[in-house]
Amino acid sequence: MSDSTKVRSDTADQTQAGVTRASVLPVAEIVTLYAASILAALVVSALLVEITGGSWRTVFSALLDGSIRNPGRWGTTIGTAIPLLLVALGTIVNAKAGLVNIGQEGQLLVGGAFGAYVMIHLDAPGTVVFVALVAAAIVGGAVWAGIAAVLRYWRNVPEVLTTLLLVSVAAQLVGFGFKRESILLAPLPEGSATQVQQTVPVPEGARLSRVTVLGNEFPISAFVALALAAFLAFVLARTVWGFRLRMLGRNPRTAHRAGVSSQRYGIVAMLISGAFAGLAGAFMLTGGDFGSYRFSPNFAVNIGWTGLLVALVARERALFAIVIAFVFAGLRTGSGFLASTGVERRITDVVQALLVLALLVPPAVLFVRERRRAASATRART
Amino acid sequence: MTDGLLAGTGVTAPVPAVSLEGITKRFGAIVACDAVDLDLHRGRIHGVLGENGAGKSTLMKMMIGLVFPDDGAIFVDGIRCYITDPQVAAGHGIAMVHQHFSLVDPLTVWENIALGDGGRLDPGDVRERVGEISEHYGLAIDPDARVGDLPAGLRQRVEIIKCLRRDPDILIFDEPTSVLTPEESVQLFDSLRRVVTDEGRAVALVSHKLDEIIQATDDVTIMRQGVVVDRLRTVDADTPMLARSMVGRPVSLRSERAAFGVLDPSVEGPDEPAAPITAEEPVLRVVDAVVHGRHGQASLDGFSLDVRPGEIVGVAGVEDNGQAELADVLSSLVTLQRGHVEVDATTVAAGRPGAMARAGVAVIPADRHDSGIVLDMTVAENLILVDPKRMARAGVLDSDLVRNLALRLIDEFEIQCWGPDAPLWSLSGGNQQRVVLARELSHQPKVLVAAQPTRGLDVGAIEYMTERLRRAAEDGVGVVLISSELEEILDLSHRIVVMSRGRVIGEMGRADVDRDRLALMLGGRAA
Repeated sequence: MSDSTKVRSDTADQTQAGVTRASVLPVAEIVTLYAASILAALVVSALLVEITGGSWRTVFSALLDGSIRNPGRWGTTIGTAIPLLLVALGTIVNAKAGLVNIGQEGQLLVGGAFGAYVMIHLDAPGTVVFVALVAAAIVGGAVWAGIAAVLRYWRNVPEVLTTLLLVSVAAQLVGFGFKRESILLAPLPEGSATQVQQTVPVPEGARLSRVTVLGNEFPISAFVALALAAFLAFVLARTVWGFRLRMLGRNPRTAHRAGVSSQRYGIVAMLISGAFAGLAGAFMLTGGDFGSYRFSPNFAVNIGWTGLLVALVARERALFAIVIAFVFAGLRTGSGFLASTGVERRITDVVQALLVLALLVPPAVLFVRERRRAASATRART
Repeated sequence: MTDGLLAGTGVTAPVPAVSLEGITKRFGAIVACDAVDLDLHRGRIHGVLGENGAGKSTLMKMMIGLVFPDDGAIFVDGIRCYITDPQVAAGHGIAMVHQHFSLVDPLTVWENIALGDGGRLDPGDVRERVGEISEHYGLAIDPDARVGDLPAGLRQRVEIIKCLRRDPDILIFDEPTSVLTPEESVQLFDSLRRVVTDEGRAVALVSHKLDEIIQATDDVTIMRQGVVVDRLRTVDADTPMLARSMVGRPVSLRSERAAFGVLDPSVEGPDEPAAPITAEEPVLRVVDAVVHGRHGQASLDGFSLDVRPGEIVGVAGVEDNGQAELADVLSSLVTLQRGHVEVDATTVAAGRPGAMARAGVAVIPADRHDSGIVLDMTVAENLILVDPKRMARAGVLDSDLVRNLALRLIDEFEIQCWGPDAPLWSLSGGNQQRVVLARELSHQPKVLVAAQPTRGLDVGAIEYMTERLRRAAEDGVGVVLISSELEEILDLSHRIVVMSRGRVIGEMGRADVDRDRLALMLGGRAA
């Protein structure tokens, strides 16, 4: 009130005296957890491979060869990591707002379809086509997530359900697009009898350029994705918008009283989330690492689902998601080499799944621990 | 235990119904109970008295198996028991009526009572038993009424019947009168007496209100900071002595006495005669507000209130009579079905996010975890929740500005924490409350709504809070004090309105308070 303008300088000493500093980020604990769970997954995998008559050395060596060890594989892994990271960034935005979006697979597919449609029907110079394609894909992804958001705030339909169910709708819609040449389907090639469900390839001029670093080739969208991760981390941590978004996610009623409209912020967060998935689709289509520049019904190839996992493992931290996206991409590119090991595919699938699980367990454990600590801190004080 | 409360009184000391020996419980670094001894005897009501946080609730929870002691032993009828969960406690005949009810609103009374029974459900049987119990103990209730429609007093009755149906030997009541009118409290103690004297059950009554302890108990154990500081027979006790023992020093301040319910307004007038506020126009007007609750019943039913600058208006009333909704309206959390709210003669859109805060209405919510703070954010962030734009340039928060503001407020409001970046959950309840207070007052509000502002705080914190509210009023803020603690209202208010069933049923200046009339009104009767 009237005396609230007094400023004293001895604050710091006074407030820190006698109150122990709570450890906010137990680094050692986190590292140990990850090491332990990955080690456990490796041991179980190795046993499994050996029991079924394979050699665990061959399997792990193939994984490493495929992801990073063989020449040029870094590039492939980076190419795979780009859409994973973008999807994860979008997921972080809706998660911060306290919303659950698990339909990235569908949003990515719709985004890709929108982009492909524009690419097919726009007769313009390459650069213009590229820009229009990306814009359309962003809009497509945003619209698909937006449907869930509108239903959430208009009729209180849980967005968990709608986003998930809209994945199936997206697949059907895209399937329909491939029934008509006027929509997505490429014309039947001369002299060919079988119709393949795919679009014409993206014209040369509208493709992302690729760079080569130390013999590893990847599209320049990698830099865009990195920049977006950094930008998002800044926006969430330092801007008023990010602050209010976090407030909404952590305590909607406090946020409402403080002037945050859950509807406005929630819808925007979902639109951004979908837009990121759409952008991932656009970069997949124009990047060259997926589907050889063609859109098809199987275009999304689980990138949406895996991107969601990346966000979960990164525990909603944009910069950490960069690393995790690369790890998941490595698992994916590495497992491409498993077929040549002669170990049965079902077993190698289980090995992959075990490694993913190993990455998912520590964040879950940490989350539970944090909650417990918070709970016991409040309980002890009441 | 041969501690001998009854030794030499001519009564043969039987084996206590329950005996706690050296019970210790720690939560992290905090010792909630430190080597506590306690005996409950059949046929006697044992008061457990202490401030909030003295460890009395924790002690009771250990008796019914919600918390397991780190050390010490529990004896039931002289036999050592390990009470690992409430089922085990029930097996030993120990039951508890909790401060917060665990009833299912849409179900009827008998359904709630039968809840948790195993085997086949026989409605006729349950109804009959409910009838027997209510007649026997004078706890009249309609077994077919829907619990959601009952006032708090009757709901508590349902809880008590639920307990008695299992025919427990030992009954624990945790702050039972916080939801009752004075009249209902008297009734409760009457039936308690019957339970105890006629049937030889042992009762523990947990309370922080001295009057209650004096009126209703036979023995009293006083706890302070987890330790038993005194035990005596109630007939040998008087209020000042109990107060001194509970706080650890003579209690002199009015606000303290108010906090323990020993303030007698008919004897003690206001400190400074509350000069009737002559000021001009009201700074806050709530006109004919109607809000519907979840079941469609009116929670606010034509509520009107005027508050002038510099005035503290106490909104008294038994809990659950619309106070929560009133606070919600003034926090922009609910929309009005009818009526409107004016701040400084300008109508504010109720329910629009942040509208009330922008108009200058500061709020200290009854449940700060619900709408006052964000536990997972830092102290600094919590201090700028309401108006982060003030701390930003071009939409980007200026971390220096935020930090300086936080340091200044931490200093000014004496918030104990390790710095502006401490997560809010690492602070104690009292300090979290100070964060709310600091933030709300730092916005130079026109109106300050304080809902149950001292609940759960210890004496020092209560004193601090009341002082701050007084000062806010002196600075010209219109203060709305919503409280179910009558003494707190009498201590602070210039004017008192009584709320019942969502409307104002009476109003009086502080100087004209007549306690009997007030009690009648609290019971819901216009007088």
